[in-house]
Amino acid sequence: MSCTVRIPSPLRSYTRGVQRVDAEGATLAEVLCSLEARFAGIRFRVVDEQERIRPHIRFYVNTREVGELAEPVLAGDTVHVICALTGG
Amino acid sequence: MGLSAEERARYQRHLNLPEIGLSGQQRLKATRVLVIGTGGLGCPAALYLAAAGIGTLGLVDFDRVELSNLQRQVLFASADLGRLKVEAARERLLALNPDIEVRAHALTLDTDNVRQIIGEYDIVLDGSDRLSTRYLVNDACVLLGKPLVTAAVHRFEGQAMTYIPGRGPCYRCLFPSVPEGTAASCADAGVLGVLPGVLGTLQASEAVKLASGAGEPLVGRLLTYDALTVTFTALPVSRRGDCRACGDAAEIKAPEDSGVVCGSGGLEPARRLSAIGLRVLLDADAGHAVPLVLIDVRESWEFATRHLPGARNIPLGELEWRIAELAPDDAPIFVCRSGGRSLAACALARRAGITAPGHLEGGLLAWAEHVDPDFEVAFG
Repeated sequence: MSCTVRIPSPLRSYTRGVQRVDAEGATLAEVLCSLEARFAGIRFRVVDEQERIRPHIRFYVNTREVGELAEPVLAGDTVHVICALTGG
Repeated sequence: MGLSAEERARYQRHLNLPEIGLSGQQRLKATRVLVIGTGGLGCPAALYLAAAGIGTLGLVDFDRVELSNLQRQVLFASADLGRLKVEAARERLLALNPDIEVRAHALTLDTDNVRQIIGEYDIVLDGSDRLSTRYLVNDACVLLGKPLVTAAVHRFEGQAMTYIPGRGPCYRCLFPSVPEGTAASCADAGVLGVLPGVLGTLQASEAVKLASGAGEPLVGRLLTYDALTVTFTALPVSRRGDCRACGDAAEIKAPEDSGVVCGSGGLEPARRLSAIGLRVLLDADAGHAVPLVLIDVRESWEFATRHLPGARNIPLGELEWRIAELAPDDAPIFVCRSGGRSLAACALARRAGITAPGHLEGGLLAWAEHVDPDFEVAFG
């Protein structure tokens, strides 16, 4: 199933500056694997070695917050990756 | 708190709004708002708050006006270069509205002074560019029961959220901690000049609403703005029961500047080299069989403008997954424009098992100032 992933500004160096990318997967975990296959290294920036979502990252599917990697993603969904920003 | 005839004329457009009106304007006059950071966010926020008739404005910033600030920090003019930001800002805001009081706090907020300063105000706007300050201010607002409007920017993207005690999540609910090196500052990463203008005026709008009682505040929602795609998105954020600051069993009893996680919890020591010190090392390195490992962690276009001889370019955003390019005993020296990214690189390298990372304090700007005046440093 294909979805759209919105990439936050601090991670766009992995996607060559692109803000929205397509990804495949029926769960958030699969979507992140799909992203990793195209943009090596990006998954580790959002999920740690213990498979936990990093504390400065939040995921939303459309406007529903997703706190577990196993949560479903449907075709046509938009996955928002939110990253803490610090600039003032 | 009454309004003079002149004030009634000045605020007529507010008085015509049923949601604000005379009573709302009087509440604005009686309200004290603290703006933390007179940078890209604080400048437009303070301008609109002064124009709106907020009776008392406090400004916190220890910094002085630099030329690179003027691209977005709209309170300042070229003639203000070198002045304390809070002093120049105070003058500008009083010129705009002489009926208000503007208090200048030329200092760095820390665990010793944050409660006293925030305690003097009713609403807090956080526009600082330090993560440690964001956590410190959040904790103080939670402990003192003060509303906090927070915002942050990065390149073309911004975020904002309002905290009201007892009504929704705080900043620690949103981001319990942030690892060092994962959030680059505007100085290092760059920012579209008008972007903090959009977010700073949103903060001012929230403060005016809170002060006057108009509308619904941005509580329990994180507003994100992407200037490249002109996309505003409001995403729900819930209060965390296990939040260290506002949770059911909150353990933070005094404001902390923790939350910026690096290794075991704080900034680990890194070898800090002055520009002169690095030159000495580079001079001594000439002819050695094992050359100095000098890593420039700026973006590739900055590196292309000018870089130190022998430096390799690994942008900070790529360092985590390219760390294997460095050997554990390499003792690399990281350099960047101003010293922020290189310090973050040290922390990241140490976590990855590099035993003795070092960095150029003050960055290549210090190199240009103390070693090579002809060295052109790209604006990051």
